[in-house]
Amino acid sequence: MKIPPFKEINPPNKNGYWINPKTKESYGGQYISPLLIPNLQKVEKCFEKAIKDKKFMKGLEEKLLTFIGVNTPILRSTELENLIGGARKVGKIYLKRTDLHHDSSHKPVNSFSSCYMAKHIFKAKKIICETGASMHSRSVAAACAMLKMDCEVHIGAVDAEKVSLNKDISELYGAKIVVVHDSTKSLLPAMASALRSWQSNPDAMYVVGSVAGPSPYPRMVRTWASVIGRIAKQQFKQITGKVPSTLFCVCGGGSNLMSMAYPLLKDKTEIFAVESAGEGIPTGRHGATILGGSKMGILLGFKSKVVMKSAQIAESLTEASGLDFAAVGPEVAYLHDIGKIKFRSTTDMEAKKTFLMCCEKLGIVPAIEACYVINAAIKEIKKRKNPRENHLIHLCGSGESNVARMIKFKRENE
Amino acid sequence: MNKNFQEMFAKAKQEKRGSLIGFATGMDPNYKTSKKILIEMSKHCGAVEVGIPFNTSTSDSATIMDANMRAIKAGANTEKIFKLIKEVKSEIKNNVPFLIMTYMNPVYRYSIKKFAKKCKTSNVDGLIIVDSNNNSPEDKELSKELKKINVAYVKLVAPTNDEAFIKETLKKCSSWIYVVSYAGLTGSKQVNLGNVKKISKLIRKNSKIPIGVGFGIRTKSDVSKVIKIADATIVGSGIVDIVGKNSKNHNLTKKIGSYLKNLKKGLNKQR
Repeated sequence: MKIPPFKEINPPNKNGYWINPKTKESYGGQYISPLLIPNLQKVEKCFEKAIKDKKFMKGLEEKLLTFIGVNTPILRSTELENLIGGARKVGKIYLKRTDLHHDSSHKPVNSFSSCYMAKHIFKAKKIICETGASMHSRSVAAACAMLKMDCEVHIGAVDAEKVSLNKDISELYGAKIVVVHDSTKSLLPAMASALRSWQSNPDAMYVVGSVAGPSPYPRMVRTWASVIGRIAKQQFKQITGKVPSTLFCVCGGGSNLMSMAYPLLKDKTEIFAVESAGEGIPTGRHGATILGGSKMGILLGFKSKVVMKSAQIAESLTEASGLDFAAVGPEVAYLHDIGKIKFRSTTDMEAKKTFLMCCEKLGIVPAIEACYVINAAIKEIKKRKNPRENHLIHLCGSGESNVARMIKFKRENE
Repeated sequence: MNKNFQEMFAKAKQEKRGSLIGFATGMDPNYKTSKKILIEMSKHCGAVEVGIPFNTSTSDSATIMDANMRAIKAGANTEKIFKLIKEVKSEIKNNVPFLIMTYMNPVYRYSIKKFAKKCKTSNVDGLIIVDSNNNSPEDKELSKELKKINVAYVKLVAPTNDEAFIKETLKKCSSWIYVVSYAGLTGSKQVNLGNVKKISKLIRKNSKIPIGVGFGIRTKSDVSKVIKIADATIVGSGIVDIVGKNSKNHNLTKKIGSYLKNLKKGLNKQR
């Protein structure tokens, strides 16, 4: 199997901004202490060199296929179709089984690629990263173990408790764990802490887990991650003869959304991103950056839609650690604002019920993050009632680390 | 150059000494105490730098992060910090320049034009934005607006920056330039004099702008060493530490006063 090659279809400008042609609003950029500017320039140079270096790319792709296992199947789910009236009424539903990756999520594709670049081109000996659900740290730590690099993981204190399994696996892989007690004690302060650590260790390379952070990270992360979507697009065409009618992905910062959506941006596919509505958007306790009506703000090195209270970054509240991010990546906000990506939401309660349904009806333990998208997709597909459509849902991760909380939920609700 | 900064540097030059710039987070631990702290600082410092707290800051050590969180808890926001500076300046009845130090988000959310205007009406003499990149549209707009009203735009350069970056920064920088002495967070390491010499040389090659050095300056001896190379030195974490440890102590301002008095002894340029 060969990974379909990357084609840049929506590049930012030379300063790392995407510009909305109608409003002239700019998204992205590089808002960071001057101390880190040379590092960012080095990361960008290494990235440009990496994607043009045939030998490097061949080595990387081989590892993605054999270590990460990126060639995961696409599963037709008649079970989901039957929940809402069957294929004859709503069309066919397919699941991209990214949960079958090594380390059980979409994260390892970007993590491994970034670390591989750090090792062979940036020549870093140490990797610094932040994590929310610890899926990112787990995969960065695995890459570092394989590539013989030091790994420093920054995790919010609340997340450290919520997803202790992934955190523990990161530690088993040899990562040094830094628990962050600042502000919301979740992904956002963890990222700020990682950036601060990079300033004290400029010889290390920082590996971002989402399509966020200062330029060139949003572009680099989506480029690496888009391997998933490139393979999925090819597989989907082989199965159905066409590109998907609709694509559904969950969206916290947007890495899993961009991993699948990016190769389909110029196609007819209608793209839906699903946010966490937490306890319901009107309650204010949610993780829905776009649907919650967030304004443009500047944080952690980039400009995008940010959940704020006055000028301070506000808490994003959701059951899913992987969605607990008070912003979306700049390219995601841009694609929403120009009308290319539509947004839907699922509450925490709906997601938890969907989790149990997937276990019981599909025989799959999905990541809680993936349950937000499955729930929203079912609602949307049911509404569309189009038997000619082929729908693709990104089952972006496996839910082992959610088991302890979910078994408690199941028992309490029986 | 902003008039108050011009006077500060001229007077120091005449007296053959460097200038001390003290930093404290605005409204840390609360409005009333912060006002007293800033008034006390203005008695000992050549200039006073006031932080508008930001809860997702990317360059501050735990000491300043804790101060940010204390101030936010006490209700700090951009409007109140402006009010605080305005009140302090009207009470001190001298020309000690006051600067605001913050991140781009509070400025951007307030609106850049409005923020610049508010600096003028609140008697703020200068502005430092840690994460303002030379290439951002906000940086361009801000430097243009501040120039119009003669408010100093103090930009940062770090030991990792090359001459091209320093030249680019100098184009926008006004009144003085802030040299970060080491690769790290505020107050987390010792001042690195080798770095300071190297960057100061690059700056001097391209400009006569006064140089202020910050990061890692806590003692009289640090001040003394830095002042041999630079025009001013910024002390932040040392002051904020005292605030953090004594926020309920009625001797807080006295403690800050005696700390600054001691630092001032290191300002003499003559050997």
